[in-house]
Amino acid sequence: MANKYVGQRIKRTEDPRLIKGLAHYVDDIKLPDTLHVTFVRSVYAHARINGVDTSEALKIPGVVAVYTGKDIADKLGPVPCASALPDLKVPDHRALANDKVYFVGHPVAAIVATDRYAARDAVDLVMVDYEDLPAIIDVEEAAQGGPVIHEAFGDNIAYKLTAGEGDIDAALASADHVLSQRMVHQRLAPIAMEPRGVLARYFPGEEELTVWSSTQIPHLLRTQLALMIGIPENKLRVITPEVGGGFGSKLNVYGEEALLGWIAIQLGKPVKWIETRRENMQATIHGRGQVGYIEIGCKNDGTITGLRYNVFADLGAYHQLLTPAIPTLTGLMLSGAYRIPAIQINVTGCFTNKMATDAYRGAGRPEATYVVERAMDLVAAELGIDPAEVRLRNFPAADEFPFHTATGLDYDSGNYQAALAKAKEIIDYPALRAEQQKGRSEGRLIGIGVSTYVEICALGPSQAMPAGGWESATVRIEPTGKVTVMTGASPHGQGQETSFAQIAADELGVDLNDVTVIHGDTSIVQYGIGTFGSRATAVGGTAVLIAIQKLKEKASKIAAHLLQSDASKVAFEEGRYSIHAAKAAGATEASEPVVPVGEAPAGAIPEPQTEGRTSVTIQEVALAAHLAKELPPDTEPGLSATYFFEPKNFTFPFGTHIAVVEVERETGDIKFLRYVAVDDCGKVINPLLVDGQIHGGIVQSIGQALFEEVVYDEQGQLITGTLMDYALPKASQVPLMELDRTETPSPVNPLGVKGVGEAGTIGATPAIVGAIVDALAPFGVKHLDMPVKPEAIWRIVNQA
Amino acid sequence: MKIEGTYQLHAPRERVYECLTDPEVLQRCIPGCGQLEKTGDDTYAATIKAGVGTIKGLFKGSVKLENMRPPEHYRIVVEGKGAPGFLKGSGDLDLEEQGGLTTIKYAGDVQVGGTIAGVGQRMIQATSKMMATQFFTALEAEAKTAAGDSPPEHGFFRTALRWFSGWLKRILNS
Amino acid sequence: MISAEFEYFAPKTLEEAVALLDQHPDDAKVLAGGHSLIPAMKLRLAQPQLLIDLGKIKGLSYIREEQNQILIGAMTTHYELESSVALKQTCPLLPECASHIGDVQVRNKGTIGGSLAHADPAGDWPAAIIALRADLVASGSAGEKVIAADDFFVDLLTTALFPGEILREIRVKKPAGRVGQSYQKAPHPASGFAVVGVAVTLTVSSDGTCESAGVGITGLSSKAFRAATVEGALVGKTLNEQVIADAAALAADGSDANSDLYASGEYRSHLARVYTKRAIATAASRAV
Repeated sequence: MANKYVGQRIKRTEDPRLIKGLAHYVDDIKLPDTLHVTFVRSVYAHARINGVDTSEALKIPGVVAVYTGKDIADKLGPVPCASALPDLKVPDHRALANDKVYFVGHPVAAIVATDRYAARDAVDLVMVDYEDLPAIIDVEEAAQGGPVIHEAFGDNIAYKLTAGEGDIDAALASADHVLSQRMVHQRLAPIAMEPRGVLARYFPGEEELTVWSSTQIPHLLRTQLALMIGIPENKLRVITPEVGGGFGSKLNVYGEEALLGWIAIQLGKPVKWIETRRENMQATIHGRGQVGYIEIGCKNDGTITGLRYNVFADLGAYHQLLTPAIPTLTGLMLSGAYRIPAIQINVTGCFTNKMATDAYRGAGRPEATYVVERAMDLVAAELGIDPAEVRLRNFPAADEFPFHTATGLDYDSGNYQAALAKAKEIIDYPALRAEQQKGRSEGRLIGIGVSTYVEICALGPSQAMPAGGWESATVRIEPTGKVTVMTGASPHGQGQETSFAQIAADELGVDLNDVTVIHGDTSIVQYGIGTFGSRATAVGGTAVLIAIQKLKEKASKIAAHLLQSDASKVAFEEGRYSIHAAKAAGATEASEPVVPVGEAPAGAIPEPQTEGRTSVTIQEVALAAHLAKELPPDTEPGLSATYFFEPKNFTFPFGTHIAVVEVERETGDIKFLRYVAVDDCGKVINPLLVDGQIHGGIVQSIGQALFEEVVYDEQGQLITGTLMDYALPKASQVPLMELDRTETPSPVNPLGVKGVGEAGTIGATPAIVGAIVDALAPFGVKHLDMPVKPEAIWRIVNQA
Repeated sequence: MKIEGTYQLHAPRERVYECLTDPEVLQRCIPGCGQLEKTGDDTYAATIKAGVGTIKGLFKGSVKLENMRPPEHYRIVVEGKGAPGFLKGSGDLDLEEQGGLTTIKYAGDVQVGGTIAGVGQRMIQATSKMMATQFFTALEAEAKTAAGDSPPEHGFFRTALRWFSGWLKRILNS
Repeated sequence: MISAEFEYFAPKTLEEAVALLDQHPDDAKVLAGGHSLIPAMKLRLAQPQLLIDLGKIKGLSYIREEQNQILIGAMTTHYELESSVALKQTCPLLPECASHIGDVQVRNKGTIGGSLAHADPAGDWPAAIIALRADLVASGSAGEKVIAADDFFVDLLTTALFPGEILREIRVKKPAGRVGQSYQKAPHPASGFAVVGVAVTLTVSSDGTCESAGVGITGLSSKAFRAATVEGALVGKTLNEQVIADAAALAADGSDANSDLYASGEYRSHLARVYTKRAIATAASRAV
C-alpha cells in the first residue's frame, strides 16, 4: 500500500457539512404527517403505580393517543440485556413502567400528538397515582439490604463475580507492605451533544418499518427491535443519520426506540421523539458508578506482589444492554501496565433506584486504570520512591510481549518504558521535580501526577463479545470509477468517513475524493457490529483493507485479461495494473477520468480501450467488469468485495500522561501548569483524528477529575438535572495539551493499529488526581475522591 | 433537605399557638395559600401557589397537624403535588415564652421532587428560608391581634410578598 | 423543553408596555433579553400567559452622560456595556462586571435591566450596581419612581418593583477623583453564575487615604447586598495590606450564606472574604 494518505494529517471530509449546518440528524428528517411523542416520566425514585388516568390528557386538542405500561404489556417485548454472567438477575424491563417506577425519569406513559406543544401540554395532565416507597440510593447500602427494588429477587444484588489468577492471599501475605484504600468512581452523564432521537415510519402495504435512530449500533438495534416489536428483521430498516456523539450512551437499545416503532405500526403515521436535555440527564445511561476497596501488596523495592479489588457496582434500577458487563472490563484491566503475579476482583453488582449505568467512554477501563494508577502512587508514597520509578520497576520488558496478565489477557505488543521516557523527557521530569521542591519551600503547592496506562481496545474476538466481535466492509468500484466503501461500523463523530477513505484510497491508488464511505443504513450496508470500544479502525478498518485486497485479486485477473497478459505478469502500483516488462521499460500512459463528467451519453458508457496498452487503471478495470464484455472466462461481472474481519485478540494501546497542577492555598482552586500526553495507539491512519480523540478524552477526564458528578439526593431525586448544575468542562477550563506519540504496531491486524477513542478518558484521570494529591502531600494527603472540588482542598489546607 | 431555625414573635405564646392552629390564619400566613379546607381532624386540603419571582407552581395537597400539645408543640405534615413536581415536608414546632416574646423553634425535613428538584438545586435552600420568613412575619402580625379581631392588613410585608401579588390583592380586597 | 402557550406582545413604546402590564399584573412577564426567563419557561417553571417584549421599544438601549451621571438604558446588552469605550474611562467597573457574565451569546442578548429585575441571587450586576450606589428608575402607570440600589433587591428573585412597573434606566453617579474599581468573581464551574462576586469602587486621596468605598457582594446569600461594615473599615484609612485584610474579613459578617452542591455556606463565606480582599486590593492598585 502506497502511503499517500495514510499517516497524513488530513482534515475530516465530514466537517464542511457539519460546520455549515447542512448535516442531517434525526430531527432534521421531516416526514409529512409526522406525529410527536412525549413521555410522562416518574418524579419518584421508587413508587407503586396505583393508577394512571389519561382522560384529561386525551382531551387536549391534537392529542392522538396516550399509551401506558398496561397498553404495551403483552405487545412489546422487554428491553434487552446482552450480558451473560452466571446467575445474573435480570429484571423484566419494559419500555413503560407498569406496576412500579424505579427511578426518577422512568417512563410511565407515552403521549402522541399532532405537534410537540400539545404532546408536552398533555404530559402535565396525565394523572399518575403514585404510592411513594422508600428508595435505595447508596450502592454499598444496597449490597447490605434496605428496601428491595425488584421484590421477586429478595435483595438488591444483581450478581457477584470473582475473577483473577494467582494466589492473592499468599501474594499479599508475602508483601512487605499491604496498602488499602477506598476509591469512588462517581456516576457521570455522557452528555452527547445531540441527545437521543427516534423517528419511525410504517408502510402497512409493504409491512415495512423504518426506524431512524441516533445510535452507535444500527444493525444490532435492528435485530433487537425486530425481536421486541415482533416483526421480521428483514422488514425492519434502521437508519442512523448523522449522530452528534454517543460516548457509549448510544451503544444501547432503549425502550423508547422500540416503543416509537410499535406506535408507528399502531397509528400508521410517522412518529418522532427528540429527547430533551432533561430527559437525557435522567434517562440516558450513566457511566462509571463504582465504589471499590483496593489492597495492594509490594516489596520494599516497589515490586508489586498482588492486587485485590472489591467493588460495588451501582447498576441502577434496570440492566440496559451491557450494564452488568461493564465492571467485568474493570476486572480485565486491573493489571494495568504492570507485572502483577496475583490479581483478584470481587464484583458485587447492585440495583439502586437510579438510571442504569452502562458504557461511557472507557467503559470499565477508566475505573481499572484509576485504581491501579492510584495504587501505584500509594506504593510510591509509602516507600518514598518516585512514582515514575515505581512504575518503571513493574513494567514488563518490551521483548516480553505477548505479555500474559493475571487477569487472563495477553497484551499484544508494548513498550511502556519508551512512552514513559518520552513523556519525562518532554516535560523535563527531573527539573520539574526540582521546581516542585523549590516551590514547596516558598509555600507553593505544585503537584505532579504520572499515569502509565494500558487499555483494551478493538473489541474484540467474537468469543469475548455478546453479539459478535467482527466487523464488515464492502468495497465496490462503480462503473464511473468512484469507490464506495460500506462499513458495518457506524461512526458518530470519529471521522471514519475520512480515515477509511484514506485506507481505501491508498490501497486502491485512487484519489481520496473518489472514495465515499457509507454507513448506518441497514438496508444498504451489510450487517455490522458498530462503533464502540475503540474498535472501528482496528476491526472495521481492517475489514476495509482486506475487502480491497480481495477485490484486487479479481481486478488483477481482469486487468491481465484486458492487457492480454497473465495475472502473474501484471503488477499493481498506484492505482494501475501494468505488465512487468512495460513497467520496466518506463512506459507511462495518460491517466484520465474513466468517464469525463458530462461527456458520456446516457446509456452508452464508452468501453475502455485497452488494445495494445501495457497498463490499465483499476477504475478502467471496474468499468470493464461492469460492462462484462471483455472478462476472463467464468468471471462474475462487477467489481466489489465484502469481508467480515474477525480479530484474533484485542489490542492494548498504552501511554504516559503527566499532569502538573498548582493548588491555590487561599481558595483551593486548581490550576494546570502543564499537561503532557504520550500515547501509543499503534500505527496511525490520521494523526489529526488521533490528536482530536486524545484531546477530547483528556477533556472528559478533566471533567471526571474536577467537575462532573451525577448526584441523586437521599430520596433519589436527580439534583444535577441540568447543565447549570452538572459541570461539563469548558474550553476555558482546559489546559494546553502537549501531545506526542510512540508507535508500537499491533500484530493483531494488518494495519498495525490499536485504537484511540477512549485513551484520553483512561489515561488522564489518574494523572490529574495524582497531581492534586501530590500537591497536597505536605498535608499528609494520600488520596482524594473525584470530583476534587476546591472546597475539599480548602478544607485540607485550612485545617493544617 | 433539613431545615431549621428560630423565629421570635412579639406576642404571647398562647395566642401564637392559637394562630398556628387556626386554619384561617394559616391560610393567610402560608405564602401563596389560596385555600385551606378542613377535611378531618386537624387535617386540611390546601391549594398553594408557591414560588419566587418568575418561578411559580400550583400545588394541591394536604396539611396535617399532629402531636398537638398546646401551647408548646405540634408537628406539621405537608404534602403537595403539582405540575412542577411535588413537595413533602414535616416539621416540629416548639414554642417558648420569655418576657412576652415567643420563640418558635422549627426543625424539619423537606423533600422536593420533579422539575424543581432537578433544576432548582442552587435556590431551594434560599427559597425555603424565604418562605419561612414570610410565614413567620405574617404570623407575628396575626398574633398581635386578638382572637376574633379582624385580621391584620399584611401591608408591611407586602414587599416580601410581591410575587404573590395576585393572591395578595384578593386577600386584601376580600 | 417546550414552553406552555403564551401570548406575545411587542409594544413600540414604554407607555404601551406599562399599560399592558397594568392590565395583566398576575399573568404577564416582561421579556428583556430572556436568558433567565426563557429557560424557566421551557422547563415550565414559569408559565406566564403574556410576554411583553421590550425589545421593539426604541430608546431603551443607551449609555450616555448627563451632568455628573452615567445613564444606562435598561435594554442595553451586557456586551454593549462590556465594550463601551466611554465606560472603560468613566466607570470601568461596569464593563469589567459585564465581561464576567455568562458567555458571549448570553452577553449579546441579555440586558442589564433584565438581569437586575430578575434579581438572581448569583447574578453579577447587582454587586456592581450596589457598589456604585446606583439609582434605578421604574416606570409605572402612576409615573416614575427612583429606587436606590440598596433598596432594590428585596429577596431571592424579588425586587422592589411593583407589579405593573418596568425598570427603565440605571443611573450611576460618575466617579470623580482618584478612582479605583474592580469586580472579582468565583464562577460556578457549570453555570458560570457567581459562587461569590465582589464589586468594589474606591476613591483614594493623593496620600493614599480611602475617601469613599462601595462594596457590593453577590452570590453569598439570597440577595446581593452592600457590605457596609467593610466600607466602614476602609474609609478614612490608608489602604495597606493589613487594612484591606481586616476590612475584607468582615465581608460575610451577618450574612445567611447559601449552601449548595458546589459550595457550603462556610466555604462561600470564606470565598466572600477572599474575593473582597482581592477586589479591594485590585481597586486600590488601580486608584491612581
